Amino acid sequence: MTAESVRAIWCREFKRDDISVDDDFFALGGQSLVMVRIQGAYIEELGVEVPMDQMFLHPTVAAISAYIESQAATTAP
Amino acid sequence: MILQGKRVALPPEPVVHRQFEAHVAANPDAVAVVHAGRRVTYAELDARANRFARFLVARGHGRGAKVGVCLDYTPDLLVAILGTLKAGAAYVPFDPAYPAARLRLLLGQVPGLALIVTSPATAGMVESADVETVDLEQLAGHLADLPATAPDADVTGDDVCYAVFTSGSTGTPKLTAVRHEGWFNLMNWLRLEYGLHSGSHHLVVSAFGFDLSQRALMTPLFCGATQYLLASRNFDAMMAYRVLTEHDIRVVHCASSTLYVLVDWETARGGDALTRLDYVLFGGEALKAERLTDWARREGNSCTLLHQYGVAECTDVATSYDLAGHDPGRPDAPPVGRPAYNTDIHLVDEDLRHVAPGEQGEICIAGAGVGAGYLNAGPENRRFTTLEAGGEQVRVYRTGDRGRVTDAGDLVVLGRIDAQVKVRGMRIDPTDVERALARLDGVREAAVVVTYTDAGEAELTAFLVPAGGDLAEDDVRARLLRDLPRTMVPARFLTIARLPLSPHGKVDRAALAAARVERYAGSGTS
Repeated sequence: MTAESVRAIWCREFKRDDISVDDDFFALGGQSLVMVRIQGAYIEELGVEVPMDQMFLHPTVAAISAYIESQAATTAP
Repeated sequence: MILQGKRVALPPEPVVHRQFEAHVAANPDAVAVVHAGRRVTYAELDARANRFARFLVARGHGRGAKVGVCLDYTPDLLVAILGTLKAGAAYVPFDPAYPAARLRLLLGQVPGLALIVTSPATAGMVESADVETVDLEQLAGHLADLPATAPDADVTGDDVCYAVFTSGSTGTPKLTAVRHEGWFNLMNWLRLEYGLHSGSHHLVVSAFGFDLSQRALMTPLFCGATQYLLASRNFDAMMAYRVLTEHDIRVVHCASSTLYVLVDWETARGGDALTRLDYVLFGGEALKAERLTDWARREGNSCTLLHQYGVAECTDVATSYDLAGHDPGRPDAPPVGRPAYNTDIHLVDEDLRHVAPGEQGEICIAGAGVGAGYLNAGPENRRFTTLEAGGEQVRVYRTGDRGRVTDAGDLVVLGRIDAQVKVRGMRIDPTDVERALARLDGVREAAVVVTYTDAGEAELTAFLVPAGGDLAEDDVRARLLRDLPRTMVPARFLTIARLPLSPHGKVDRAALAAARVERYAGSGTS
């Protein structure tokens, strides 16, 4: 679920549709400006605040999606 | 053409940490640093720095020593910096966001490095057989036994306070040293000219290795104000904006590209925290004023944008301009303004003779900020030279930047005399990147050139000659990221059968830059 939404955000920001869930953000050529836009999209579209350091630590769609889900689990009422 | 800065007297020994100590004495309970909700007072920071200084002196790392600092933005970072200065030594920042391989390369470039200060989060990144590492957290128990008063260390305005890496043109980063007098003069100018005071709280948003970060870290402590540090290794617009919103921050120093990000963040989400700042001091790369126009014109925007120019070799900032005076509709570049106190700008021709008013010339910087030179690149020190002005020999640094002075008396930077490039505010030596590429398996030769995006932003394009077999762009980039900071990793990689050569037998970079390139072109293009 989360992974598909995250992947869609990445594809839009990278302007390419062949990103897999295991592709590395930086190997894809991701730069800081793209990162900031993706960070903003996580807030606006997924309702989650993802610190930049976590985006560096989890540089794939699969990894950051797992992180986002773990945060949602710990903050759920 | 000479632009003269105002002459403002400095104390007999303009030593940066003395100014901090004066605030400690006057206001010991004032808050010096806020980090992750934790507050450290001036007295507490001073006591910890004194103990660390005593530790350094006892180890023989006193006056003239060089101390590496590889720490995240925490109060300990300021303890390490102030303690090093108090010992009479100079610090060298190592950005923990860099790959370990890059940090090792930089470590090897510091002549006589005494030791390097780390934390549990950074220790593994700078391990070296040649240099002792000291974990400041593990050292805490030992330091607690030392007196909390400053050691007796003679320091003068001519002593080196810090040295930062900047790009060379030889494939090796250069370590350029700054003197206390220059750093004191810079912050004293900011304090007096812009009225910074004990309420002028700062937030640091730039990476630790930059020269501007040294100023951003120390200026609030120089003014008796509070320094806010983000609990983040990497610049985080979301967290930065939240701190700006929730705390009474007055001043931010950053590269132009970081300012665009913050402005875009605010514009997209409708906040007003940035517009409520007193000052943003920014520069470091060609300014795209149109990126700021709409925001700058917002009703109620009381933030003054100071567009600044300078070089690491001359203590970071040499001139400053209030961007409110610039009409973004004009086609010419926004000025960088007038010199700092005790700083002069000389515009000269290739024989070091002054050009006439209105004419272009090479920008040379003279005055208090001229640094102590490169510590690891002797021949490059020829850029520090003297020229004749008013019948006297004046020590200057030749920046290699071209400029002219407007009718209004403001400096405008027009470009480079040589091929040096900046990407997102960071000076980059393409040969440094080429060396790293050529070391990769599967790459026979590499050339790196500057190209421009549709939006006019500089980026690097690498041309690779494969050593047989295919080179996948994503794979090359991933391998390069282990060796180089992200800013130095090219935005695009193109394979080419052979590199074009000029009639002199050198790689023809102009031909490469002019080649029409497709962003995700595969192999065999040119």
